Amino acid sequence: MIQGGLKRKSKANSEIPSSSLADMAFLLLIFFMVSTTFPKEKPRRLPFPEAEATKKIDEPRKNILHVWLEKDGSVYINDVRVPMSDISGIVAPIYDQTDRKLVVSLRADRDVPYQFVDAVTKELQEAHAVRVTFHTNLEQRVTRERR
Amino acid sequence: MAFMRKKNRVSGEIPTSSMADIAFLLLIFFLVTTVFDEEKGLSIVLPEPQETVEVSQKNVLHLIVRADGIVEVKRGESPSVQPVRPQEIETIWRVEVGQNPNLIAAVKTYPDAPYRNMIAVLDQLHKAGADRISLQIME
Repeated sequence: MIQGGLKRKSKANSEIPSSSLADMAFLLLIFFMVSTTFPKEKPRRLPFPEAEATKKIDEPRKNILHVWLEKDGSVYINDVRVPMSDISGIVAPIYDQTDRKLVVSLRADRDVPYQFVDAVTKELQEAHAVRVTFHTNLEQRVTRERR
Repeated sequence: MAFMRKKNRVSGEIPTSSMADIAFLLLIFFLVTTVFDEEKGLSIVLPEPQETVEVSQKNVLHLIVRADGIVEVKRGESPSVQPVRPQEIETIWRVEVGQNPNLIAAVKTYPDAPYRNMIAVLDQLHKAGADRISLQIME
């Protein structure tokens, strides 16, 4: 009788099998490491203007060129300061490289005087890079009504 | 009995129980430190160089952006100027384009006006679904 009672004791392992947890975690880690793309240029923190009609650009990242315009009118392309009159000469070869699909994302300070924006767009037109996006942050309707 | 005691009791396996913790720590670190650079904004197609199109004045709605943020609305040939706030332009455009489907918005900005004033007008035009927009500088 005593022996029968001993046999009733559960022999199933009560621990959750955790040996494959590391494999799963490393798989996720490697997936994110491989799929991450790093920005080519160092980030510039500019206060961008806000717009309610802000839309995502539906274009592969390789076809997008950032043109940075700071408050004092200085222009930066790929981390290099570019004189205003040289923009078309720099953008034109990039436009050809991207098979004429180039989209210029103009990232300008919200307080830059408009004459500089106009000068940049005239240079871009000269380089035939006519697809331009004015980078804006999405303006929330709620914050606008509060004003 | 002496023979039994000599048997090595140290586990021959590498301890793997903390491996998952290390991996998840790394995973969470990368998830938190990643910043996504979103490509967004207001898109526009500029005219090709030397591409000038003659437009009848009656099909043009002039929107003159001043440095103080007020927008002067001028309809075609009419010399009268209506100063409005940028928020009102969406409604104005919808009314005007309802009367004339061929209407073109000519956004003229003063050279010293801040860029955001022009964006405010462009935003309103995008919201109103305008696609024929001309950006100019006030000379």
